[in-house]
Amino acid sequence: MSIKRNICSCCGRPITPYEPAIHFPCPNCGDVTIWRCEACRERGKSYRCLKCEFVGP
Amino acid sequence: MARKKKKSEETQNIEDIQEEKSSLVDFEEDFEDDLDIEEELELLDTEDLSVLGEDKAVVVDKDEEKKNLFLSCGIHIGTKLLTGDARKFIYRQTNYGLYVIDLTETETRLKIAANLLSKFVDEGSDKVIVSSVRRYGKEPVKKFCEALGCKAITTRFIPGSLTNPNIETYIRDASVVVIVDPHADKVILNEAQLARVPVVSLFDTDDSLKGIDLAIPANNRGKKALGLAFWLLAKEISIQLGKISSENDFPYTLEDFTSKIVPLYNKQQSRR
Repeated sequence: MSIKRNICSCCGRPITPYEPAIHFPCPNCGDVTIWRCEACRERGKSYRCLKCEFVGP
Repeated sequence: MARKKKKSEETQNIEDIQEEKSSLVDFEEDFEDDLDIEEELELLDTEDLSVLGEDKAVVVDKDEEKKNLFLSCGIHIGTKLLTGDARKFIYRQTNYGLYVIDLTETETRLKIAANLLSKFVDEGSDKVIVSSVRRYGKEPVKKFCEALGCKAITTRFIPGSLTNPNIETYIRDASVVVIVDPHADKVILNEAQLARVPVVSLFDTDDSLKGIDLAIPANNRGKKALGLAFWLLAKEISIQLGKISSENDFPYTLEDFTSKIVPLYNKQQSRR
C-alpha cells in the first residue's frame, strides 16, 4: 500500500500528515492545488504554480 | 624605395575608402528597402486603424478613466517605510520619501484575488470572512459582505473564533480570510494560520508577507483607497460569479463603499 505525500510548492519538501500546512487552488489559473508548509508560510516564502508560473504571495 | 612604398600605401588607402563608400551605399540601399517595407506596413496599419478607430478610442478612454480613478483615490501611495517583501511591488520613491506602488501590479492582483475568492463565495454561508480593525475599513467591508453574502468582522475579533469549537462565536466552515492590514488584524491572521485557512490581504509598503497567501499591493490607510479596493474586488467577483453581465450593471457606487467618517483634524478646522 502506497501513501501519496503532498509536496510544498515553496521548498519542495514532503508535508507530514499532522503538519498545519494549507492548500488552495492557484489564484491565477485555478487548476493546480498549491500546498504550503508551516515553515514557508511563517517566513512568507514565495510559491510558484507549475502550470501558469504565477508567483505568490 | 621609400617613394614606391608611399605610393603603394596611398593606393591602398584609396581602395579602402572606395570599399567603405560602396559598403555605405549598400547599407543605404538596404535601409531604403526597409523603409519601403515600413511604409507599406504603416499604410496597412492605418487602414486597420480606420476600420477599428472607434473601438480603440473607447478602450484608451476606459484605461485612462481607470488610471485617473486609481490616482484620484490614492491607492498607489505607500509609506516612508519599505520592507523587503514589498520591494517587488514598488514603482518609485517620491522626493518626500514616500514609496509609490505599481498600479499595474495592483490591478492584476485585484483580478487574481477576485478569481480566487469567487471559488469560495457562497451567499449566506461563512466561507469567506472579511475582517477590518481599521476605522476606514469598516464601511467598505460591510458593503462588500452585503453585496456578496460573506461574513464581516468589524468589531473586536474574539480569540478562538476560528480554533475553539466550544465558544459561541466559533465559525465552522471558514475557507478564506480577507484582511485589510496584517499589522492591525494580527489576531485573525494568527488564528487563520492555526486553523489552516488561506489568507488574502491588502499589502502596503511597510507590511511583511508572514502568514499571507495572496497579497494585493495597495494603500490600506486612506478611506478612498480602501473603498476603491473593495469596490473593484466586489465588482470583479460578481462578474465572475455571473451576477452581473458588465461593469456598469453593478448596483453599488464607489461612494457607497467609502467610509463617511470625517477625520479629526477636519472637525477641528470646521469648529474654528
